[in-house]
Amino acid sequence: MQKQKRLKVIAASVILLGGMVFLVVAMTRSTSMRHFTPAALVEAASGADNQRVQVDGLIAEGSSEWDAANFKLTFAVRDRETEALVNVIYEDRLKPDNFKDGGSVFVEGRYDAAQNLVVATKLMTKCASKYDGAESAVPTDETSYASE
Amino acid sequence: MTAEIGQAAIYLSVLSCLWAIGFLSFGLWIRNARAIQSGRNAVVATFILISIATGALIYGFLTDDFSMRYVVEVSSAAQPVLYKITALWGAMSGSLLFWLWLLTVGGVIVVWQNYQRNKQTQDTLADYSLIPIAIVQLFFTILVTGLIEGVYNPLARFPGGQVAADGQGMNSLLQTPLMAIHPPTLYIGWISLTVPFAFAVGALASGRIGSGWILRSRRWMLFSWIILTIGITLGGNWAYQELGWGGYWAWDPVENASFMPWLLGTAYLHSVMIQEKRNMLKLWNILLITLAFQFTLLGTFITRSGIITSVHAFAQSDIGGYFLSFILASTAGVIGLIIYRWNRLKSANRLEALLSRESAFVLNNWLFVGLTLIILWGTLWPIISEAINGEKSSVPEAFFNKVVIIPGLLLLFLTGAGPIISWKKITANNFQRMFLLPLIIGLIGGALAWGFLALIGYTFPLYSVLCSFAAVFVIAAIFAEFYRGAKLRAKRQETSFLNGLNLLIQRNKRRYGGYIIHIGIVILYIGIMGSKGYFLLESKSMTLGESMEVGKYKLTMIDSFEKEYANYLRSVIVFDVEKNGKRIGTMEPALHDYYKAKSDEEPTKESAIRHFGMNDLYVALGNIPPNVKTGGVVNVQGYYNPLIGVVWIGVAVMVLGGIVAIAEKSERSREA
Repeated sequence: MQKQKRLKVIAASVILLGGMVFLVVAMTRSTSMRHFTPAALVEAASGADNQRVQVDGLIAEGSSEWDAANFKLTFAVRDRETEALVNVIYEDRLKPDNFKDGGSVFVEGRYDAAQNLVVATKLMTKCASKYDGAESAVPTDETSYASE
Repeated sequence: MTAEIGQAAIYLSVLSCLWAIGFLSFGLWIRNARAIQSGRNAVVATFILISIATGALIYGFLTDDFSMRYVVEVSSAAQPVLYKITALWGAMSGSLLFWLWLLTVGGVIVVWQNYQRNKQTQDTLADYSLIPIAIVQLFFTILVTGLIEGVYNPLARFPGGQVAADGQGMNSLLQTPLMAIHPPTLYIGWISLTVPFAFAVGALASGRIGSGWILRSRRWMLFSWIILTIGITLGGNWAYQELGWGGYWAWDPVENASFMPWLLGTAYLHSVMIQEKRNMLKLWNILLITLAFQFTLLGTFITRSGIITSVHAFAQSDIGGYFLSFILASTAGVIGLIIYRWNRLKSANRLEALLSRESAFVLNNWLFVGLTLIILWGTLWPIISEAINGEKSSVPEAFFNKVVIIPGLLLLFLTGAGPIISWKKITANNFQRMFLLPLIIGLIGGALAWGFLALIGYTFPLYSVLCSFAAVFVIAAIFAEFYRGAKLRAKRQETSFLNGLNLLIQRNKRRYGGYIIHIGIVILYIGIMGSKGYFLLESKSMTLGESMEVGKYKLTMIDSFEKEYANYLRSVIVFDVEKNGKRIGTMEPALHDYYKAKSDEEPTKESAIRHFGMNDLYVALGNIPPNVKTGGVVNVQGYYNPLIGVVWIGVAVMVLGGIVAIAEKSERSREA
């Protein structure tokens, strides 16, 4: 009797645990998006064609254009280290707050390698980050300020 | 001069922390009351010193001392006084100091509670617990001394006596009342979670691993739970009102970081009941509270180490490494103590049946911990995926939304089943008496929801039907509990039903407070189901005179104007709102342009929200062109968020239940 009960408890645990693990693995496989810097995405090119990707970079200075009539934002994401650029088109969504030239941006969308273009479904700018460094307007020669 | 005094106070508090740790350990070791008292005094001294440092920083804000680096970073002369004070936690080093200050307040309260208690009995459990508290304080004190790389002392001045002309000002998005209280609320929740953890460590160290430590720290844990519930919701509410995307939760790493300790704390609140009633799960409870505490630190590690690229994109710093080291070292310490006390941690009782109150609690714990691990997995997937196949990937919001549904619905069901299932083993009698009616009512509720949703055009809303079924079942089960209990009381005391109900709750605040929380959970679920599952979103480029439709509502752009405020310019578009062809008023979404906020910031969206019962109509603007009066195009987004008001009500009921439960004195729950 005791043994049978323990067996039941163990069986229930295994089913529960197995179910959860299966769910998580399946969902991870079906939703996971590869993460790129603009340079890596340009290099991957056709290797990432028509895949959902995430691109993390900076909003290239002077590249952003807000076409109000067509509810469309176009801009380029610049690599943080190299000159590589990836174009982004973002339609029917409002520009997020804090969207500014040179600012950090995080793009989610489908990559079109032929046009080097990400059709974005989600844009995230650096949040109201309390923790951005005090790099400008501060009279200092200590470099560590900016790297904080 | 004040800044220098503050800095000195921080350095001195390194000593007072060491003093507390040393004298408490030594005093407890050799059983010397004077050494212990000296250690307690050192805990109070740390509080005084850190209060001086915090006061000095606030003084710097109020006097616009722009020779102080931190003041320049987050404040400016024109910043309203309220936001000069909240600038205290506006950036990293200040927020660490604030966290530390709260922690010292916690330490003093523990000392004071212990003093009150020791008037009657001599007990050293709290003194043992002060040691881990002082160790955590020491960690934070060292961080804010500015002696280690990556974090500067919040009271430091610029080198060479330089003074900035003005401060940079705090980010304008943070200059709202909600953001003024959201971060400190979370901090208070995390700090009060430190205390039950400290009591667990104290119990291990002292070897008294009964229910004493749980009872002594019960109200701390409940307080933490209530405050975290409020804090997390404030964050969601802030995002909803300020960020203009119509939602309140996006499974961002920072949100997850605040949610995971809450999940673990909730699991702990349940599992301790098993230890109190059945003397089981002793080891599990210690592990759970340790994990919950470590997750409050892990959140800081995740969001500030730069290992996860998040929306919040906290600037990278070395601080993550210190947090990780501290997490690992302190966990190792707890594990060491567990091994040392291994013999006393064994449970006297075992699960007796698969279907019983005990196993419902165990399942509840599995689900809470499982959910935490799932969310951790999703949050850390960028690191995990890189480790597995060398390619960094991440999972979108949709991953979390999908993966939490089934465990979430199981938990919802347990919210009702747990309180009514019998201890030890379910019996046919128990099932018939307690389960049958709620199950039938639940099935009817599910069927009605199905019918209603089918009527408005949703063909197979499986999850909504399951959620409605579970929600109605839970409400029925819990109301039946209240009803039976109140009737019995009324009969016994020969009084009215309402009096009986009142007596019932008064006599067992913990239990019935818990049930009120469960009702709040059901309400919350219904709100989430409606607002996440059935919201409408419409986008349109519009000029004056044009209209757009959002569900039953029609928005017509009729006017625009500007208004100047002390620190920002408000540009407004006026919409006429019609429902089913009937005019019902106007809405005025806006953009705010802050004059003194960080120089090159774009205007921030100020969405307009109108409540129709529990449903919201939400309008946000992307831009307002200068020629808006003469045909300039405005980008408008309109959301219809059904049942979103229910979300906030659900949380309010949960908090109310928490307040009822916390009102019960620790000593009483022993007899309960």
